[in-house]
Amino acid sequence: MRNLLFLIVLIANTSLLFAQESNMNNTEIAEFKAKISETSKATNTIQSNFTQYKHLDFLSNDITTQGKMAFKAPNMVKWEYTEPFKYSIIFKGDKLIINDSGTKSNMDLGNSALFRKLNQLIVNSVKGNLFQDSDFTMSYFKSQNYYKVIFIPKDEKIKSYIASFILFFDKEKADVLEVKMVEPTNDFTRIVFTDRLINKPLDNEVFSN
Amino acid sequence: MKYFLTSLTLLVFACASFPKKNNLERSYGDIPTVINPYFSNLSKDYIYKAKINFAEKSFGGIFVVKKLGEEYYRVVFTTEMGNKIFDFTFIKNEFKINFILKEMNKKILVNFLRKDFYVLIHENPKVLDHYKNLGDTLFTETRIKNNTYFYLEEKQQLHKILATQRGKEKSQYIFSEVEKNHAKQINIRHKDIKLSINLKAI
Repeated sequence: MRNLLFLIVLIANTSLLFAQESNMNNTEIAEFKAKISETSKATNTIQSNFTQYKHLDFLSNDITTQGKMAFKAPNMVKWEYTEPFKYSIIFKGDKLIINDSGTKSNMDLGNSALFRKLNQLIVNSVKGNLFQDSDFTMSYFKSQNYYKVIFIPKDEKIKSYIASFILFFDKEKADVLEVKMVEPTNDFTRIVFTDRLINKPLDNEVFSN
Repeated sequence: MKYFLTSLTLLVFACASFPKKNNLERSYGDIPTVINPYFSNLSKDYIYKAKINFAEKSFGGIFVVKKLGEEYYRVVFTTEMGNKIFDFTFIKNEFKINFILKEMNKKILVNFLRKDFYVLIHENPKVLDHYKNLGDTLFTETRIKNNTYFYLEEKQQLHKILATQRGKEKSQYIFSEVEKNHAKQINIRHKDIKLSINLKAI
């Protein structure tokens, strides 16, 4: 009897999961975009913990790394990996500053058009501000807990590298909960944000190694 | 005449075999097999934090090796943020590039990487001979794809592979911090190209 009950609960939950996502209509999309734009304008700094999952189809487990992310308007982002290794990468305008467990290097993003575009996308996705970008076709979904937007690059070169960006937004605060970058092979990188602090003062010093 | 004799001596010495140059003594008896066990477990994901130094450039990232079957491997290198830099498949004697970032796609570099990774994952090289030095190191001479390698073992544990050409050492593959057939640290050094690869298990 208990098993039967468990099975019923399981089926009910599973079907709920499948039924969770649906398309947003035009009014909902407009409202959602307005909310995001408002949040984005009011955001000067973001500090957050993150967990990154690198999924490669042929592996038994995703590669999990953890760290802290800091953003300061208009265009400074720091990703600081703390587990299982120490590594930080700072995007500062067109510059990229790396500290790989003590080995420091500067890289001019201008060297690689692809990385420059990726940086711009990262900054915009952290701010939740990808909607102005005419380089993507976008589709909008909603569930009980989140809004989801799928961005598909129009540029063939970027498309050959990243098939789509998927952003998950908190329904209440319109913050980015999760960024997923899907490769053409269906391998993907998923970054989940937790413990987010908005507009807490952040010194410029943080963005130098 | 003196010059001729000197150059002849030099030439003979230069062409001497690797064991001769290094005072290795040939071991007699049955030639044992040598096994590289460091990427042999089908159920294990081998994940390393990597640094690849090529010429004046340095690429940091995550290095992944997975054995998918007999003589079938995937070798992938991504940035720390997860962007793929290269993705190779090795099946028996075949080599396939699934992806490589344009900036890395230099023929000389790809050939070296291909050769290096093939040595790393190759489990049962063809054994030609074996030697001993004054210490306890056993040198097993092997042949992989027409190249000669010496597998150095101490206490029945492989700790170094030397690639040689015309009796000279060309590259080193060093395995350290070994636990249960898992080399937690791997370093690859080349003598005739500014390429080094350092791997640390995570």
